[in-house]
Amino acid sequence: MEKVNRLAFDTPSFGKRIKGMLAVDFYRLFHTPLFYIFLAIAAIIPAMIVGTTGMEGSETAALFTNVWQAIAVESPLYIVKNIGQYANMNMVFIFGGIMVSIFIGHDYKSGYVKQLFTTHAKKQDYVISKTITCAFAMACMCGTYLVGTVLAGLLVGLSFAVNFGSLVCALLGKVIMSLGWASLYVFINIIFRKNFWISILASFFFGTGILIIGAAAILGNSAILNIFLYGSSVYACLSSNFLSVLVCLLCSGVWAVIYNVLGTYILNKSDVY
Amino acid sequence: MNAIEIRNLCKTFGDKQALAGLNMTVPVGAIYGFIGENGSGKSTTEKIICGLMHPTSGEVKLYGRDYTNADVRASMGVLIEAPGCFPSLSVWNNLMIQATNLGIKDKVDAVRKVLTLVRMEGAAGNKFKNCSLGMRQRIGIAMALLGNPKLLVLDEPINGLDADGMRIMREILTDIAQSGATVLVSSHLLGELEKIATHYGIIRGGKMLVEMTAEELDQSCPTFVAIQTKEMDKAKTILKQKYAKVLTDEEQTCLRVYDAESPEAVVQYLYENDIIVNELKTDKIGLEEYYINLMANKEGK
Repeated sequence: MEKVNRLAFDTPSFGKRIKGMLAVDFYRLFHTPLFYIFLAIAAIIPAMIVGTTGMEGSETAALFTNVWQAIAVESPLYIVKNIGQYANMNMVFIFGGIMVSIFIGHDYKSGYVKQLFTTHAKKQDYVISKTITCAFAMACMCGTYLVGTVLAGLLVGLSFAVNFGSLVCALLGKVIMSLGWASLYVFINIIFRKNFWISILASFFFGTGILIIGAAAILGNSAILNIFLYGSSVYACLSSNFLSVLVCLLCSGVWAVIYNVLGTYILNKSDVY
Repeated sequence: MNAIEIRNLCKTFGDKQALAGLNMTVPVGAIYGFIGENGSGKSTTEKIICGLMHPTSGEVKLYGRDYTNADVRASMGVLIEAPGCFPSLSVWNNLMIQATNLGIKDKVDAVRKVLTLVRMEGAAGNKFKNCSLGMRQRIGIAMALLGNPKLLVLDEPINGLDADGMRIMREILTDIAQSGATVLVSSHLLGELEKIATHYGIIRGGKMLVEMTAEELDQSCPTFVAIQTKEMDKAKTILKQKYAKVLTDEEQTCLRVYDAESPEAVVQYLYENDIIVNELKTDKIGLEEYYINLMANKEGK
């Protein structure tokens, strides 16, 4: 052992702390089969949706005439009238919620958080690091979802006709929304950190956007719903433009800050382990 | 300056009071044996010191600063219950994760050092889930030692260890203390604790019963004359006529005579009563007996 002669304490900077924590979280993400399983799930789901359009008498055959409809709705419709309007890239955010719950659940189950919070780690660093890592994972899922969609579309022979600029804006909007959704799921998992299954169920419940769909049934197809994560996720549609990306950025960013602040507050005020 | 200073610490869980005004002082450089029965509040105290729990009231200071101070926390090493490792990762990778979190520059070297210190170099590649309980405890210690901590909090680190593991753990803890670090260690294995601790704190019902140094414990422990004879029952009856406290030891192999003027006087007295003493020695009660007696006194037994 190195002799401890002095009682001076080093102050680890925020940058140093977050760098270390992000390195660990990304290391864990890339070294857990969970991440790759969810990437595969994200690729298989659109392949199945688009694939069924090739089946004779299939309900989806009537709903999907263009491969990009599996990515986003054509115009922002918050009221779901058929499964075709719902079965798009937004589903990544539902499965992403389950992935976040399992990822954070492991932190508590293994006792890693205990090890983390007893040293220099601040609760704020933990929330930020988890949000960034999980947002990245969901963005990757969006990527494999896109690949699955394109491959299935090629196999089935659906039309690829699209306004390229709008498609890019829609995709960009969805990827940006990953941050907001990740922060929501991290927050849910902080609240229910000692109840793994409740975390998963709550993440699934909020991920489906059922509350916003319900609100849309009352308010109508109102643009005000864009202030919510599900609303903005729908707003990133095939008729998107730069404004849509901006709306997604604003919504995702603001919610990420709100959920991060609330998550940090809860962790600071409650017993961690 | 004290490494840990706790004043009037209270912690309640609903209507259950885990800590009821605990006071505790751990000097810098001490190996502080934290003793108490199950549910006495040891783990709760340790979790509060480690920042995992919030006290309901009271004050906790580490090196003169509030226990939430990030600078002080960066100099802590902790093993509470079990090490926080990912089961599917190797021992090496788990330690590398901790080293990364601590911001250690030369991680490989630091991990190698602690693995050598806990005699686990050969098991670095093993997955954590395949490690035995004893190995896991040593990995936990290795994890706590990363970053050369100034304060170590170890909850039951010798539980589940075999005789050799216990010896290794004793050596490790002594090495750590000699390096100038402070160690707070809780254990039910009082015999083991007695071999290394420099200070003791005995907790009961969420309150500190007694705090003392090893020297003070030594002075508080009464000496006795232990004798062995073929006629144990007869000897006991005779000795009880002269000495106030005569007890048979746990193994029923010898008699203990407390407050005897000298060993020779006991032998002489027995000889005069036709009892031949086969073996004779003077000894002191240990921490375990001191603790049991203290608890019994508190219960009014």
